Amino acid sequence: MAKNLVIPIGPQHPSLKEPACFTITLEGEKVVNAVVGTGYNHRGLEKACEARTFIQDLYIIERVCGICSHIHSTTFCQAVEELAGVEITRRAAYIRTIMAELERLHSHLLWLGIAGHEVGFDTLLMYSWRDRELVLDVLAALGGNRVNYGINTIGGVRRDVTPELIEQIRKVADIVEERNKYYIQLALSETTLAARLGGIGKLSHDDAIKFGAVGPVSRAAEVPDDIRVTDPYAAYDEVPVTAITDNHADVFGRTVVRVLEIMESVKMIRFCLDNLPEGDIVTKVPRKIPEGEVLIRTEAPRGEDAHYVRSNGTDKPDRVRVRAASEANWHGMKHMLEGDYLADVPIIIAAIDPCYSCTDRAIILDNHDTGEQSVTDWRSLREYSINWYKVRGIDTSKIKIAYSPLIF
Amino acid sequence: MSELIAEKQALATILEKFPFLEGKLEIQRRQRIISSALERPLFEEVFGFVTTDGGFDNFHLVIGVDDGDNLGFIYVLSNDDKVMLSLKQSAPKSNPAIKSVCSVFPNALWHERELVDLFGAIVEELPEGPTYPLPDGWPAGNYPLRKEWKVEYFDKVNMTYNPPVTAGKEEE
Repeated sequence: MAKNLVIPIGPQHPSLKEPACFTITLEGEKVVNAVVGTGYNHRGLEKACEARTFIQDLYIIERVCGICSHIHSTTFCQAVEELAGVEITRRAAYIRTIMAELERLHSHLLWLGIAGHEVGFDTLLMYSWRDRELVLDVLAALGGNRVNYGINTIGGVRRDVTPELIEQIRKVADIVEERNKYYIQLALSETTLAARLGGIGKLSHDDAIKFGAVGPVSRAAEVPDDIRVTDPYAAYDEVPVTAITDNHADVFGRTVVRVLEIMESVKMIRFCLDNLPEGDIVTKVPRKIPEGEVLIRTEAPRGEDAHYVRSNGTDKPDRVRVRAASEANWHGMKHMLEGDYLADVPIIIAAIDPCYSCTDRAIILDNHDTGEQSVTDWRSLREYSINWYKVRGIDTSKIKIAYSPLIF
Repeated sequence: MSELIAEKQALATILEKFPFLEGKLEIQRRQRIISSALERPLFEEVFGFVTTDGGFDNFHLVIGVDDGDNLGFIYVLSNDDKVMLSLKQSAPKSNPAIKSVCSVFPNALWHERELVDLFGAIVEELPEGPTYPLPDGWPAGNYPLRKEWKVEYFDKVNMTYNPPVTAGKEEE
């Protein structure tokens, strides 16, 4: 009788983008047991927050995740503002909402690329990441950085949007909408993709509730939970939000939910731009926050983020607890993996869109001969990469793209 | 929005069963009901009711807090009306024994493991498995989210906790 084979995947493994350990027990090619181990990236930031002031904590909290950094800082800001009894201006709330939806666009496009890559469809990776670059450019124009935008502050936002920026956002929204029509068509009608994604990583409606799945994972199992609808924050009480659901309850369903959500985000961004109220962008908040405790929930691209903040009346929090969306989605992972084939493990893991950090926008180079330092920004890096291909005979500048590239 | 109908209804259902909780549970704002700290036998009774007949059958997270001589464990639950109930259990720091809720809510597993690692909670009936989230080789008896644990006394290279002698005696 054949013995079951135990395969440890991770914490370092080519198919994983973040350190986690999956101990997979196989019977033939089928997964019969899976043990999920994480914690390799625990940075103790909750403890770090207790030793720093609320405003310093904001920048720590923003670094919980490289992809959904804005939503974490929004959640923390909302928590502190609620404790302080401060209501931010509507303009600030709208700008937060625009950032949050742009972030969702970039996160979902990033996921789409990774999903394509995991199933051997690298063209989709190239396409969707090309479109994601436009969103990152506009995020950089808005916040000053491609990731960890730093636009939030306690009491509002740090940067206003100008009419020129609004035009740029509209252009990007148009392009992403146009391109996303193709991705929707691809997701719904491409037979190889449907065959590869359909029926794997199943998490039924009841199981999604039982394991506390959130975001696109639960909505793909017809659980219509979307915090933007059920517990509105920022400007979502005025912005029309439709929670996208699907009944496939598998990786295919999660793909459909995400590509359709991109369309919803585009609509929401347009609504915010059309109805952007006039006024200040920041409200003064005292340094010392009154005693109290508060729990704030928001809808990150990956699902529900929950932050608990307790203040003891000083300028430092007594306790900060961050429950990110991925933390909720890991619980159902064992269930999703069991019964599927080993070859499907990477895409099933990727389908919950687990978090991992993004790169910096600039690198510092040390010249070993002279000892001098130079800084290369992302624009130069982009030019460098284009030239790198050019000298090897691939001239990307000659490739005709359906839309005219934006110059920021 | 301001009527808080669902919140009042949920609160009334709990108070009908446990009238002596009057004053210990309050509607904080829309969709939020919070409780004062309840000690173990009472907490388990209330938790058992709210998660069944009380309708709070969705589990979101557990938050550990350091309340000085006691540790607090805030269980965040929600019902179908999206009302969040934060039910707080209190246990003395000298013997922070609580019962696992994993048999009812399997998604509480990692949250409870976190309470064990970071707060030193003794979670009875917690399913076996790897610890989370502290690394292998973490010195026993060190619970970083307790207030008396100071990060500056921790040697990250050798993984040892070295409080000054005077402060150390007090903490022992």
